[in-house]
Amino acid sequence: MTTDFEPQIIGFLCRWCSYPGADLAGTSRITYPPFMRVIRVPCSGRVDPLFVLKAFQDGADGVMVLGCHPGDCHYLEGNYHARRRYALMHRLLEYVGVDKDRLLVDWVSAAEGRHFAEVTTEFTAQVRELGPWGGKRIDG
Amino acid sequence: MTDKIRAKARELLESGQVSCFIGYEEGTRGRVRPAFVYDPQDADRLIWDERCTHNLAVYLHQFQRPPRRGEEPPRVGILLKPCDSRSLNVLFQEEQIERERVYVVGLTCQGVKVNGQPEERCLRCSERVPLVYDLVLGSVPKVVGREDYADVVRLEGLPPGERLAFWMKEFDRCIRCYACRQACPACYCFECVAEQLDPQWMGIAIDVPQKQFFHVMRAYHLAGRCSGCNACEDACPMGIPLSLLNRKIAREVETMFGYKAGQDAVTVPPLATFKKEEALPL
Repeated sequence: MTTDFEPQIIGFLCRWCSYPGADLAGTSRITYPPFMRVIRVPCSGRVDPLFVLKAFQDGADGVMVLGCHPGDCHYLEGNYHARRRYALMHRLLEYVGVDKDRLLVDWVSAAEGRHFAEVTTEFTAQVRELGPWGGKRIDG
Repeated sequence: MTDKIRAKARELLESGQVSCFIGYEEGTRGRVRPAFVYDPQDADRLIWDERCTHNLAVYLHQFQRPPRRGEEPPRVGILLKPCDSRSLNVLFQEEQIERERVYVVGLTCQGVKVNGQPEERCLRCSERVPLVYDLVLGSVPKVVGREDYADVVRLEGLPPGERLAFWMKEFDRCIRCYACRQACPACYCFECVAEQLDPQWMGIAIDVPQKQFFHVMRAYHLAGRCSGCNACEDACPMGIPLSLLNRKIAREVETMFGYKAGQDAVTVPPLATFKKEEALPL
């Protein structure tokens, strides 16, 4: 594996917890790898599994879906639905040969800037280890 | 059996209980094709034998709307095998057609054959009597199979790289004819993701990433809804083992949520509900 490989990671961050969480990581001056493209979504329940498929198809090396902790959803139950969906999606992706470590679903609250940085760092290292996923690069 | 089916279809059409009866008729080259009987005199076209593999539930979508605006939607009679009756349960569950509008002539089934060979799914099938019917014909067969997911487990056991290679090879054969989707009773969207242009989910190229996207997308859309009638695989002109994909999801849904699609028309499907406390592998 080439050492200068920098993974392209797409992060779907929920508007109420994880996005402010990422914001907090920034304002707290916590460093984390800069390879993640953040897409802000209203809720982790908004992240249609097709978004993840599309991201992989368009060349993302890893996809993160971050939402509020179960029980803390701004829309009360969005992340419960997301949890069921992604539990299945994980198994399906693994089955068709996409390493399951390329998709991360986790919960980050608005107060967890440090946790956000940790999750991102860990995931980036994990994807870097796996190497590039086939498909075209997003920024050419 | 054929005589009884013809008699029942004729009776239903003559009494005006249904305006169309969907069954099977003799096709060309020794094959069987779906038949739509509107006239009682044509009821003698109907047949039933082990070549009748089609899942007729897929045609119910064509009877969802009235022929002319302001009229009542038509009532239909339909011939269903046990596996097809599960599809009908899914349609009831998703409110695609009302129970009162369908007269189901259920058939007990010994398993169907393609080119003289019994279908694999029939060897695994444990349901020999339809789950939903107004009238059931035939005697109950004693022989039942058992679903063991042996082929799914075998594929799961392969290293990820080999599994990827396997699926890439299979998906590469796809010609994007969408026959699998057309044959599927659960695929009834007016506009399929595969053909949507705004947003364009799937590129128009006939290339492996697009085909892979299509098949994974379709498999996921059928999660907790696919009742395993295998119409997609039977329809595939390229012989892609779609059942391996669909049965994998069915198995995961069963182990994770204890749910089997099409068993009844009232249970809320697993992806439409949730439990607050549940340990799911993420």
